[in-house]
Order: sequence, then C-alpha cells, then structure tokens
Amino acid sequence: MQQFVQYTILGLVLGGVYFIAASGLVVTYTTSGIFNFSQGAIAMLAAFTYWQLRWGWGWPAPIALLVVLGVLAPALGAVLYQVVMKNLRGTSEVTKIVVSVGVMLGFLALATWVWNPTASSPRNFQKFFGANAIVEIFGVRITWHEIISFVLALGIAAGIRFLFVRTRSGVAMRAVVDDPELLELNGGRPERLATISWAGGAFLAALAGILITPITGSSMSANALTLLVIDAFAAAMFGRLKSLPRTFVGAIVLGLTNYYVVAYFPSSWTWTSAFRQSIPMIMLFIILIILPQDRLRGTTVLRTRERFHMPTMRTAWIAALVLVVVMFSLQTIMQPSPMKTLAYGMTLAMIALSLVLLTGLAGEINLAALSFGAIGTIVVFHFGTTGSGLDARMTLWGIVLASLVCAVVGAVVALPALRLRGLYLALATMAFGVFVSKMVLSEGNPRRLFGRDFTIFPGGTLRIPRPKIGPVDFNSDKAFLTLVTVLFALLAIGLVAIRHSGYGRRLAAMKDSPAACATLGMSVVRLKLSVFMLSAAVAGLGGVLMSAQLGAVSAERFDIFLSLSLLMVTVVGGIGYASGALLAGLFLGCSLLAMTNTLTKLGADYASIQAIFAFMISAVTVLPATIGITMGKNPSGAVTDIVKGLNDIKQARPLMFTIIGFEVGIWLLTATDVLTNWNFVILTAINLLVVPPLGGAIMKKRAYAKAGVAPPTPAEFIGIDRAYTQLDLDEMESVLGFDALGVAAPVLHEGEPAHAPA
Amino acid sequence: MSTNISASHFSSHDGNGPLLELAGVRASYGPIEVLHGVDLVVPQGSVVALLGPNGAGKSTILKVCSGLLQPTAGEVRVAGRVINGATADQLARLGLCTIPEGKGVFPNLTVRENLWMATMAGVSLSDVEEIAYARFPRLGERRKQLAGTMSGGEQQMLSMARALSVNPALLLLDELSMGLAPLVVANLYEIVAQVSEEGVSILVSEQFARTVLGIAHYAAIVLHGNVTRVGTPAELEDELSAAYLGS
Amino acid sequence: MPLLETVGVKVRFGGNVALDDVSISIEPGSITGLIGPNGAGKTTLFNAITGLQSVSSGSVMLNGKDVTKFAPHKRARLGLARTFQRLELFTSLSVRDNIRVAGEIRNRWKSIGGGRMDATAEADRIIDLVGLRDVADREVGEIPTGNARVVELARALMIQPSLLLLDEPASGQTEDETEAFGKLLRKLAAEDGLGICLVEHDMDLVMNVCETIHVLEFGRIISSGSAEHVRTDPVVIDAYLGAPESVG
Ligand SMILES: Nc1ncnc2c1ncn2[C@@H]1O[C@H](COP(=O)(O)OP(=O)(O)OP(=O)(O)O)[C@@H](O)[C@H]1O
Ligand SMILES: Nc1ncnc2c1ncn2[C@@H]1O[C@H](COP(=O)(O)OP(=O)(O)OP(=O)(O)O)[C@@H](O)[C@H]1O
Ligand SMILES: [Mg+2]
Ligand SMILES: [Mg+2]
Repeated sequence: MQQFVQYTILGLVLGGVYFIAASGLVVTYTTSGIFNFSQGAIAMLAAFTYWQLRWGWGWPAPIALLVVLGVLAPALGAVLYQVVMKNLRGTSEVTKIVVSVGVMLGFLALATWVWNPTASSPRNFQKFFGANAIVEIFGVRITWHEIISFVLALGIAAGIRFLFVRTRSGVAMRAVVDDPELLELNGGRPERLATISWAGGAFLAALAGILITPITGSSMSANALTLLVIDAFAAAMFGRLKSLPRTFVGAIVLGLTNYYVVAYFPSSWTWTSAFRQSIPMIMLFIILIILPQDRLRGTTVLRTRERFHMPTMRTAWIAALVLVVVMFSLQTIMQPSPMKTLAYGMTLAMIALSLVLLTGLAGEINLAALSFGAIGTIVVFHFGTTGSGLDARMTLWGIVLASLVCAVVGAVVALPALRLRGLYLALATMAFGVFVSKMVLSEGNPRRLFGRDFTIFPGGTLRIPRPKIGPVDFNSDKAFLTLVTVLFALLAIGLVAIRHSGYGRRLAAMKDSPAACATLGMSVVRLKLSVFMLSAAVAGLGGVLMSAQLGAVSAERFDIFLSLSLLMVTVVGGIGYASGALLAGLFLGCSLLAMTNTLTKLGADYASIQAIFAFMISAVTVLPATIGITMGKNPSGAVTDIVKGLNDIKQARPLMFTIIGFEVGIWLLTATDVLTNWNFVILTAINLLVVPPLGGAIMKKRAYAKAGVAPPTPAEFIGIDRAYTQLDLDEMESVLGFDALGVAAPVLHEGEPAHAPA
Repeated sequence: MSTNISASHFSSHDGNGPLLELAGVRASYGPIEVLHGVDLVVPQGSVVALLGPNGAGKSTILKVCSGLLQPTAGEVRVAGRVINGATADQLARLGLCTIPEGKGVFPNLTVRENLWMATMAGVSLSDVEEIAYARFPRLGERRKQLAGTMSGGEQQMLSMARALSVNPALLLLDELSMGLAPLVVANLYEIVAQVSEEGVSILVSEQFARTVLGIAHYAAIVLHGNVTRVGTPAELEDELSAAYLGS
Repeated sequence: MPLLETVGVKVRFGGNVALDDVSISIEPGSITGLIGPNGAGKTTLFNAITGLQSVSSGSVMLNGKDVTKFAPHKRARLGLARTFQRLELFTSLSVRDNIRVAGEIRNRWKSIGGGRMDATAEADRIIDLVGLRDVADREVGEIPTGNARVVELARALMIQPSLLLLDEPASGQTEDETEAFGKLLRKLAAEDGLGICLVEHDMDLVMNVCETIHVLEFGRIISSGSAEHVRTDPVVIDAYLGAPESVG
C-alpha cells in the first residue's frame, strides 16, 4: 500500500510536468496553427541554461530562475516567432513541421556545442531546496520540488483556461489563427498577440524543462531531455491540441502509467525499462486509434504557397541519364573512400525519394523514414543473405522481401491515423520511429519465441553484405555505386511517371480536397494507404542498400533525429522533386561529412589554430538546421530556384557550352592525373557556382543590346483589366526579349516583376 | 510609419465636407497595379455604392480605405485627415468599420466570442450583444455555436452585427448580399439605410446593382481599376447596363 | 422509381435540429428546386444525402436502395454527384485536370469491361459543353468564382451521374452567365435524363428552370409545388421571398 501511494504521487507529479510541457504545445498550436516540435528543445536549453547559472556559476536559485523563466525563455519565444514562425503563414503542414524540426535540431546542435556532452565532471541538477527538503504525507516522503511541480501544473491549467475563455486578449489570440486580417479590422493587433503567445509557450516549455530534469533523475543529455518533453505530445494529442482538461487527464495517465510499470512489472522482464521509455509513444498510438474520425467537411483549404511545376517525361529521362553519366565519370577519377561516401549519399537520396512520393505527391508526412530502413535491414539480415564471411551476399529475394515487409508494416502504422488529419499521421510515424529505436533495435540478446531462440538485432550491430543479383556481383565500391545510381535514376523516372499518370492526379486531388474526392466515388483511405505502403517500400529498399553500403550498422544509423534531418533537408531541397531528394541525400550523406572531415584535417595540420577549426566544425553541424529554419521564406525549396537558373543557362547557349566544356576539360585533366581530386572538386565548385551568375549577367546585357529596346513599362497594365492571353504573353516575350533570357512565361502569373532590369 | 491621426474620433469632425476622400489613389498587389488613380468622395452621412464587374477593383478600393493595403500613390483622407500609412487596427479603433467579403467571422470562435472581438473598437460587450441579438434573433439562439459551423447566411449576419453595434463613423461593406436569401438582403439594406440616416457614412461594394441602388445616394462605376463615372442612381441608369454588358 | 428518396430525414447538431422529417423525391429528367432562408438546412440536406453528414433518423434511398449507412464514395458509385457551396476545387491542378481527374477516379470504380472512359477525351467534351474552353488551361485558383462554380459542375458531370445536387451554383456568376447556366441545366435534364436538385438564392434562375420547388424553413418543408404555386404561397413570401414585387 505504502508503495502504491508512493508511486501514485510520483506519477501525479510526473504527469503534472508533462502537462506543463503539453500546455505549451497547445498554446502555440491554438494561437498560430504550428505544432511546435522545438518545444522539447526549448525545455532542454532552459534546463541547461539554468544549470549553468545555478551550479555552473553558482547564482542563487531565485535569480537564476528569474533570468531563465522571466527573461530568456520568453525572449527566445518572441524572437522565434518574429524571426522564424511569422513567415510560415500560408504554407503547408509539412513546411510548418519541418521548420520547427529545424529549430529543434538547431537547438540540439547548439546545446551539444556549448555544453560538451563528454565533459569530465557530470552535471548535477538538483531539486528545488535540495533533495532533502522533504515532507511526509500519508506516511510517504515527498520532496518540496515535487509538491511545487504539481501545484504549478494545476495553477497553469486553470490559468490558461481562464486566459483563453474568459479574457478578451486570450480569445483574440485564438482568433489570430483564424484570420489575422479580420482581427485587424476589428481593431486588434495580431502580430503582438502572436508574439506574446509564443513567449508564453516558450516560458511553459522552459518551466517544464527545469522541473522535469531532476524528477526523472536522468543525467543531463541534450537528446534525452528533448525527447523527454516530446513525450508530452501524447498528452496534447489526447486533448486534440485543443482541450486543456483532456490534455491534463492524458498527462496524468501518462505519468501514472510510467511509475506503475516500474512498480508492478516483474523485474525479471528484461524489456521493462525499454517498455517504460516507449510508453508515451505507445499511448500516442492508442490515442490515434481511439480518436473519432475527422469529418470530411469542407475545410476551405486555401492555396498554400508551395509551388511545384511538373517536369516532362523527356526532361526526366535526360536528367536521369545525365546523373548516371556524371556518376560514372566521377567513378573513374575517384578514390575508394569518397566513392563510399557518395554511395552512402545516394542511398539516403533513395530514402528521401520515398518522402517525395509521400509528401510531395500525396501531402502526407512520414517522420521516421529511416525506421522503415531499419525494418528492411533486419529482414535482410535474417532472411536475405547467402554465403558467409567475405563471400556473404545479399539476395534479390532478400531485397524484395524487405520492401514487401516494409510496405506491410507501413500499412499497420498508417492505418489508424489515415482517418485523421495529416499531422496525426506524422505523429503516428514518429511514435513508430521511437518505438523501433527503443523496443526493436535494442533487442540485442536472444529471446525464446515459440520454443526457438531468436535475436532481432544481435549484438547491437548487424553486418549486411552487398547484393549479388543473378550473375552480377555488386560487391566492389564501383559496382555498388553504379547500382544505387541507376536504381535511383529509375525510381526518379518512375516518380515523374506517377506524377503524369492518373494515379498522380488522383493523389493531388486527394491532397487538395478529400471531401470532393469522396463524393466523386474515391475511397480516400485506400488511396492514402496505397501511397503510404509504396513509400514505405521505397524507404525500406533505400535503407537496405544504405546498410549494405555501410557494411555494419548499429541502431544509431536509424535514429529518429536522422530521419527528421533527412525530411528537413529534402524539404529544403524541394519536396516536390526527385532532384530535391538527390540534393538532400548528397548534402546529408556527403557534403556535411566532407566539410567536417576537411576541417578536422585542417585542424590537425595547423595545430596552432585548431580551436578555430573546431569552432567551424560545430558551426557546420548547426548548418542544416539554419537552412531548415529559413524555409518559410521559400517553401518550394532550392530546386525551384536551381531549375530557374538552369533554364536561364539553357537559353543562353554559349554560356551552357562554356560550362560543360570547362567541366569536361577538368575531368580529362583529373582522369590523366594532371589535377588532383581536390583541385577537381574546387574547380567544379567554381564552375557551377560562380560562372552561371557571372555569365548570366553578361548574357542578359547582350540580349538587351541585341533587341534594342529599353525595358518597357506599360506591360504591367495588361492583366489588370483582363487576364493575360497567350497573345499578350507572346507579345511581351518578343518585346522584352524574354526568349533570350529564358524567363519562362508563366512567371508572370506568379506575380514576378514584369519589369526588366535596365 | 508616420501618420497624422490624433487619438480623436473621426466623428468629431463637423461640417458637411466629405467624410472619406480618395485622390489619385493607386494600389498594387506585388508588381501588378490594380488601381490606377481613383478619385472618390463619400459625403458625410451618405451611402455610396461601388458598382462594377468581377475583378474591377471594388474590393481593392475598400482594402485601401480600411488600411489593409497601402496605396502606392495618392491620398486617402478621412474627415479631412490624410490616413496613408495608418494600419487597419488603428483605423478600426478610430471609428472605421469594415465588413470584408465572404469571410467576416472567426470560424473557430463561438458567436459570442466573435462579438467580443468587436469590442476592441471601444464598445462594451453587453451593448454589442444587445444590438446583435435584437437585430438577428438567430444569433441569440446560437451564442455558443462555433461560427464556422453556421450556415453561410448566418455567418453573414454575424459579421453584419459588428457593423451595427460598434457605432462607426464610416462603414465599409463588401458584397453584402452574396449568398443571402432575398428577404434577408432586403432587410439588411433597410438596416443600412437606417444606419446612414443616423449619420453614418457608408461605402458599399456590390456586383448586383439592383439590390443596392434603392438606398444609395450616389453610385460610382468602377471599371478596370478606375472610377469611370459617379452620379445619382437615376443619372447612371444607362451606364449601368453598358458597364455590365460591355465588359 | 424515383432516383432519390429521402424518408423522414432528421439531423441534429447538439440541441439544434437542422433537418426535421424531410421527405423529398427526385425523378429522372426533372429539375427540383430547394430554397429557403439562410440556415434552413439546405446544405445539410445535401450533406445527408451524399453521406458527408450522418442522419439521426430517417433514411436515404438511391434508386430504391437504402443507402443510409453507406460511406460517401459508395453513394457516389450509385450515380450521385454534387457541387459545393464553399468551393472544393483541386487547387494544385489546372481547370482541365480538375475535370479529367474526376473521370480517372470514376474509371477506378467502374467495372473493367466497357465501363471505362477515355478521361482526356471526355474532359474535352465536357469543357466544351459547359463553356470553359477559354479558361481550360489556367490554374483553378486564378479564375473568377463564377467560372469556378462551373468547373465544379463539369467535374461532377465527369462521373456520369444520374442525379446531380447543385449547391448555390450561380452565386458569383454574372447575370449573363446565370442565364447560360440555366439553359445548360435544362439541356442536361431533357437530353441526358439527369435528375437535378438545385439550391439557389437567385429566384430568377430557380423559377425559370425548376418544375417542382420545395421550400425549407427551420429544417422543415413548409411548401412544395410548381414555381407559380410557391411564388404566390403566402407562407413562402413571409418566410423567404419578402414582398412580391422584390421577386423578378
Ligand atoms: N491578393 C491578390 N493578389 C493578387 N491579385 C489580386 C489579389 N486580390 C485581387 N487581385 C486582383 O486585383 C483585381 C481587382 O480585384 P478586386 O477584388 O478588387 O475586384 P472586385 O471588383 O472586388 O471583384 P469581385 O466583384 O469579383 O469581388 C483583380 O484582377 C484580381 O485578380
Ligand atoms: N457542424 C454543425 N454544428 C452545429 N450546427 C450546424 C452545423 N452545420 C450546420 N449547422 C446548423 O444547421 C443549420 C442548417 O445549416 P445549412 O448550412 O444547412 O443551411 P443552408 O440552408 O444551407 O443555409 P445557407 O443558404 O445560408 O447556405 C444552421 O442553423 C447551421 O447553423
Ligand atoms: Mg470584391
Ligand atoms: Mg448552404
């Protein structure tokens, strides 16, 4: 009995802290429509900062608290809104998710940079008034810290509810999400309200972070702390991101379950601890199953700001061919180690392609692509290899089986969430990702199943050989790189083909209006399911090949944070394009690694200024996050700009030939060992990054000189009284000489300036 | 952002000069200019109707007046003061009330909370509720319903309720009749006429001339981003049919 | 046998009764008008018929088959199509693709043998039929509301329905466009035998094209009959039309 009371109280306290974190999520979601993935990271940053002030520098607790909770956290929230989140109006759900994921990853990188995780002395985080400030209730000893936590949770619950229902400012904050312009017409100040609510959300996150750290007694690890607060997602979901009372109930149930598992699960069960860590995610999953179906009602989907134009099949074939030729040429001049890196990047690109299929075409979101890779890898390890030792090879059958299993697992994961909005599916996949990491990949020891010993992930590392298909052996680095490149190219062509097919159009239609689709006779759930399964299969395939490339994989390779990074970089590249996936894979798999390697090497070479290089390495790790954060400004991704640039170059023939000629030239020099690989890389970079804008500027001037016209202005008047007709466009093109510049005609519809530079 | 508005209320303006005046106003969305020098006058206490085909720029004129869109050239004067540069919320608190086209309610707030938002213009909630429920009993029955779940017409009533209750000096109405039952349209325009008799100046945009001409003192025909003709409804009879058929 | 029959349909939202014991039926080749004050329940009735809204009691029959428990897509497959008062277009597709994809969706559920259509050719035909040629290749988000409503009609026609529900299709259309629209509706009913149910506040259109008109108020049918009957029914004038001279 004593034990029951003890654990109940502890559970209530933990639940209370979960609630504080969850309420922060609810606040930002109700006031800005953004599900803030960085909530956990803010809590983590606050905990670290508080530690620094309180114990690192020995400030008194009240002052440290005041600075962190009263100043820094609200300021962070306000800045976050003003600098980042404000730009997200009118973007799609995935862009919103990705930006807040970017912020999360950025904060994580920042924290590991500032508070070195391998520091010699462990960081000691104590409860308020110390661990010995204890009272006895019902014969149970409780610390003041715990009492304070629970009381605060109750107070906050009441306070927020009061704010949102009983005060005009609170109601106005809810109104901001609906229609900021209308609020302005009413006389309200939407900008100010949104900033305040983000400051409030950050405050709640910070409070949760400071309270929870000593309660769970975990050491101060940035990743763990961030995930700890992510556990609050389940509670927030139980309240459907709206209802605070239900969120409270969800949080309390979560807290209690956590401690009851500790108390009453037999200690002989080796998986109890893993299970306990996955409780929130399992609960999230259950909640998704029991939530009632979203009604198919008109959700006046406004047009989002993302724009993806569709490449023709011909372009797709040419691009694929160019890719294969380029890779092939690179192979001939490359050393094995960069080739390995490149192949790794290509396999990541393949996984990213599954995201393009799912998100770019169908508008659904998968936050745990690599977890499907993990499933595929496990399947191949157990059922898809022949031979042993150096002769071990992956079989074709193994690859196919892995993809199939991933598709089926995908169906199981997605099914409960498919009835609900996109965000819920995203969270279901995240729950799945965490579940796989904690419960599946941790299964390093044998278990008896049906009378047989079976180990899912023996020893924490799986050795995965490269494939041999029929008579063709892909064991060498060269052959393997060719394989993944060709496979990627084929998948990319397939993707474009899908976009051009009826299936692709049906996906687009479903993304835009499920209600209209249903009334036309479409089974929306079935279509969603089919595309999710297809995407999971591609992710599995990519994952299997990634493991084969690495040779030996451990659980970290499938970490949820990696999945999130990959999604983020793909969105940055352009989630609507196969080329976006390629960019993402190469960036994450190659560029980052290359940059850190180079810097490390430089640091070793110039020991006197090593600190500078160490600093730069840290900066590089923050890089992807900073790019992700800027997404709001250009939600269609980098590829959109690149394509525009390419079009310019294509139109300006001399420039194009110059660039290609130069590139072929340096390739020849490298192939004949005149140039080193490093010089090749640097010259290529110059060729691709510097020449086009320079040459473009020259070409543009020449084009105007040739057309002999001053950039005319009256063109802007057309299109006001009536729409642009093709005739107008033709006329404009001929007058402005856009032809020569390659400014595509449709640009005019997108509101680009019709003025041309003088 | 400089503005020469003092905190005083627009309606403190006396004399019979124009309450709203647009002089050579140009405005654009991004690079595309939509208004090419609009001149327009709304005399104190009168109803002026903006008429014109789809896409002529009527809504844009109202946006400029309400402060949601800044003109690129020209002046907007309210009660003799230039208001270029003032923001929509400032103007709203100074006695200008705008009912935008189609989406005049916050869908995730209840009826009562929607009315509460109207009080930011400086009236009390109980007054707003009293007037709103008296004019539209339907709203009174549905205080707790989310505005987004109401029928199209009920939403229009809710947004109109704000116009009636905040006691504005200048009222801007965009496409009041859209989606409303004939009886309701007739009623609403009756109310608009009453409101104007109480001294409120009103600028209203309508695609269907018939509905509004009965109560308007003046009508302005908007074509291709210009006000091409202004006059009393009687004077404009001929132009009206030409404007619609000829565009 | 009527194409559609609702029998005592009732829909409640919490304490509010949005539809109360509504029974209507629609015959092939006929145009039925459904009018009534704002909030009378017209859209709700369409939602109940198409399955986007479940009913508290009563039943919906399509071709004599009870479909009250059917999901929306199952009902559509029985030949039921509709348009939306708040537009539900596929904003990332062009006008042409909006229409074509409807045919492609239909091809998925129409039995393989003979039932499939050439969606591209059929889309072209429909585009000409409804007069969208000029805007066919534009983004659907850019075209005026009046045109957008016609796109919704064209899209619905692509699944070759036998029954068509139109929710305020003329709002946002100019008077000329409305007139052409009325002609089109009559043509569809007369030549293709389509049953049409029309919700509109534009009385000229309703009175001109509808053979039968039902008037809803507070979720109940308060009057039914020919245009002439309804137009002069004092109950209707009182609840909806207002003074007779205000009707065109
Ligand atoms: N947000 C916007 N961005 C770009 N162009 C716009 C925007 N809003 C309106 N326009 C364009 O400005 C022009 C004038 O539009 P406006 O809405 O003022 O017309 P209107 O007279 O109110 O028409 P309607 O009767 O259809 O409401 C149109 O050509 C329209 O396409
Ligand atoms: N989801 C909902 N929750 C609560 N009430 C609702 C909901 N949907 C509709 N209602 C109510 O049901 C009634 C009927 O609405 P409906 O949209 O069918 O009206 P309508 O006849 O189409 O009106 P309009 O001509 O204005 O479009 C309205 O009073 C509306 O407020
Ligand atoms: Mg307008
Ligand atoms: Mg309706």
